[in-house]
Amino acid sequence: MPFENIPSVQVPLTVEQAEIMEQRQVKKHQVAVVLVHWFNALVWLLELTTGAALLVNPAYRVAPQWYLTMMQDVFGTSANLLRFHIAVGLTWIAVFLAYAIFGWRHYLHAEVLRKEVGLDNDDFEWLRIRTLLLVGRTKKHLPPQGAYNAGQKMYALLVYTMIPVIMITGLIMTFHLLATAVVAWAMVLHFFAVGMVVSGLMIHVYMGAVFPEERPAFYSMITGQVNELYAYHHHFKWWRDVRLQQQAWERQWAEEEAGNVHGDGATVHSRPVIGAYTLPNEEN
Amino acid sequence: MARYAMVIDQERCVGCQSCTVACKSEWDVPIGGARTRVRPAGVRGIYPNFTSTFLVSQCNHCDKPTCVQACPTGATYQDANGIVRINKQLCIGCGSCVSACPYGARYINGDKGVADKCDFCAARVERGLEPACVNTCPAKAKIFGSLEDSNSAVFNLVYHGGAQRIETSDVNIGPNVYYLAKPEQMELAAAAFPPIPPQTIAAGRVWSGLVKKVVFLAVGATFLGQAVAFFRQLNVGEKQFED
Repeated sequence: MPFENIPSVQVPLTVEQAEIMEQRQVKKHQVAVVLVHWFNALVWLLELTTGAALLVNPAYRVAPQWYLTMMQDVFGTSANLLRFHIAVGLTWIAVFLAYAIFGWRHYLHAEVLRKEVGLDNDDFEWLRIRTLLLVGRTKKHLPPQGAYNAGQKMYALLVYTMIPVIMITGLIMTFHLLATAVVAWAMVLHFFAVGMVVSGLMIHVYMGAVFPEERPAFYSMITGQVNELYAYHHHFKWWRDVRLQQQAWERQWAEEEAGNVHGDGATVHSRPVIGAYTLPNEEN
Repeated sequence: MARYAMVIDQERCVGCQSCTVACKSEWDVPIGGARTRVRPAGVRGIYPNFTSTFLVSQCNHCDKPTCVQACPTGATYQDANGIVRINKQLCIGCGSCVSACPYGARYINGDKGVADKCDFCAARVERGLEPACVNTCPAKAKIFGSLEDSNSAVFNLVYHGGAQRIETSDVNIGPNVYYLAKPEQMELAAAAFPPIPPQTIAAGRVWSGLVKKVVFLAVGATFLGQAVAFFRQLNVGEKQFED
């Protein structure tokens, strides 16, 4: 066992502890989240590449002329390009709607959101120190973080706010809903919301795919798991919660094993379901 | 290649609205919208010495169409034959073109939610027919043809017959609907329905003046940030980051 007593503050690890923890996996993302993440990534890739090609007027344009010409050639006509953009967008809305309806309790409930994207005092401190670290004005350590750090939380908040804006304005433009002026402003809002997400996406993709320290987070978006050492270093408060939860289960199970015998003399052998934790071999 | 234009003889027009009706029925124009209109320009003077006229107006298929410049999606475009058309599949109905037209020739079709206007009955013209309004005018006040065809009535009226454009020093975009009228009638019509300098809708101004800059700045800043971090990573080497 790496720890008999789970520490309440981050303590230096022994080499042995670190080695054991690196081998142990903690479940971080459910399969639905992993699937929706990559579906979303694909949608963003397709929608950004086609969306940029739809803005042809010089006053509105964001992409160079050769790109517009190339995309028009790929799709044959601008109408095809728009049809594709709309088809992908509507599919995106349909999938997210299903995700929201069926996954409400698991992923979008206020309790879950508060835990995942709500900023606490540690988060504000993290943002302050992170900023100072970036400009080299402090040597302090970053405060412990929950399942997501303050940067990730802020990006999530941005995305959670902007995605409904993108969807609603997209529907307004697709189906020419409401007044003419509303359609005109929907166009502006659609572009603004996408722009804001893309500005965060730059960091999201870099941190996820390129930055070496966060590499386990990238793999967790495929396997759903992170190793415990990474969790300990990067998401201490979450690691502690998971360990405490696991310890409670282990105790409960041990008590049941030890002597809690039913009336007919049969021992309860069913191990409790450990939802958020993959138990390694305890011989470690 | 033809270059289409129209001449409207205001001395012949009696304001019967036959062209309006023909156009509405040909193109299923909803109530409240119009691809062509006949408006009385008022009366100047006292009987029996007075001037009065109707102004028949529609899309002018201008040489430098401001609506084409204003359309964000490229739905409004100009054919090589000079006809300004709308690709309904691309139009989102934002109204940019409606505000950009100095002649008030465009409207938003409430049934379809997209912009609509006269296209010289391009679908009819392609089949060798005249535009519906020209075909139906009982006074033959509307004359349609190509400015490239020296035998056409339009060519003769525009280049030799004194047909005029309605333009001002502010609005000078080469309208291709010409008018035949007495000078005082032209003056009356131009005073009653002067072309209005093209307007950019508020949303369009905010897009190019503010939002585009904010988005470029935000995306540029984070791109730069991650680029710096990436080159630092290349420089330092990844070993340093891993425990």
